[in-house]
Amino acid sequence: MIQLVLSLLLGLALVVSLYFFARRSKPSAEGTAQQLREARQTLDSLQFGLLPNDLVERIFAREDLEYVLSAARPEVQSLFLADRKNIALAWVGRVRSAVLNLMRFHRGHARLHARLSFSTEIRLALNFAGLLTACRLLQITFYLRGPYAAPGMVRTAAAAAGRVCSISEDSLAFLNVKRVDQLENNEARNRA
Amino acid sequence: MGIFTQFVWLGGMLLEGVILVRSILGKSFAKYPLFYVYIASVLFTSGFLYVIYFVMPSKNVPFYWRAQYLTLALGCGVIFEISRNAFTQHVSLDRFVRWTMGMTFGIIFLLVAIHAFVLPHWNPSVNPADLERDLRLAQAVALLAIVFLTQYYGIEIGRNIKGMILGFGVYVGASIISLTLQLFVGAKFNTAWQVIQSSSYLAALSIWTVALWSYDPAPARPNEPPDPDYQRLAGRTRQVLGSIQEQLDRTPR
Repeated sequence: MIQLVLSLLLGLALVVSLYFFARRSKPSAEGTAQQLREARQTLDSLQFGLLPNDLVERIFAREDLEYVLSAARPEVQSLFLADRKNIALAWVGRVRSAVLNLMRFHRGHARLHARLSFSTEIRLALNFAGLLTACRLLQITFYLRGPYAAPGMVRTAAAAAGRVCSISEDSLAFLNVKRVDQLENNEARNRA
Repeated sequence: MGIFTQFVWLGGMLLEGVILVRSILGKSFAKYPLFYVYIASVLFTSGFLYVIYFVMPSKNVPFYWRAQYLTLALGCGVIFEISRNAFTQHVSLDRFVRWTMGMTFGIIFLLVAIHAFVLPHWNPSVNPADLERDLRLAQAVALLAIVFLTQYYGIEIGRNIKGMILGFGVYVGASIISLTLQLFVGAKFNTAWQVIQSSSYLAALSIWTVALWSYDPAPARPNEPPDPDYQRLAGRTRQVLGSIQEQLDRTPR
């Protein structure tokens, strides 16, 4: 019985995946100068726009909460909590989308190599999935219990994302202006 | 023989003939030899079974299953052809698809051997649909791997190969679903099974006729990677992700 259900599920999975495969638009030319520039921007936005420690600490500052709870009226308190919740949700959403962009960049870059290490790629994919899941869990926690529900998790996610940037910075060292310009020239020559 | 069966049978042979003629006129036979050998074998067996149906009707069913196993084996060649052409610039991905299909077939044959050893009276030829479904599952796993990998890495593939994947996928998917339901529901499902099986194959042939009408070369080779050392890229990314994982493991939840 279980075997029959599994067979049926596999057949259905194939048909559904073919539907999406047929609808797939032409993939972008990964690895082009344009894409490399976007990767650079993604890293910059992660590093300078989202993750400075003082910014993260400001969003989740417990002193602010304690001050508002002790000094403000109940309607101001609820307004404050609602605002902080929205900011926290927006912050996690941006971190998550930036990690997604980085993941797309890695895949687009890795596919240019003829010989990939499959076990490495699987491990990387699982690790990316783990980080994305952690971000999703944070979003759910903030949504249900507010921005002060998981302070440890926030610090950890911020630090982890920060480390992604700093080490990715090294791995993307080849993205210097000279190299990108060279790629653009090559592309222009190919088009001509 | 009903009008629908006649229509599907003859229509199928007509489309197979058209595909083969176009492959010769468009000089694409040599580009996808395994695929066209598969089409030629199906055309030959369909013609043979058509004659048998009128000359020796009682032999039709056993001949049908033998022909089905032959085309099933050649169908694996189609998957090799798809994988080779889709991943022509990605040796490791091609190897992974072959490995996946080989492993799945290996597991299926191992299970059949264990069944035959443990149950001496068990005979797979008594219920050939069961074995066919299991072998189609191996093809489905390989096709899913191809579709997933092209999607995951954003690999561009040509019209010919896309058509092969869609056509073969429709046929394999419909076969698995109908064969499973036939085993599940029983003899009541036989008529529906025949209709689904033959219609899906006709649909696959129609897709192949359109997609392979003319030869469409594989998309141009993508740019060279800016950093040619894959191990360095993967090593750094792994290092980043490893440290993230370490940090997340310490997170109080």
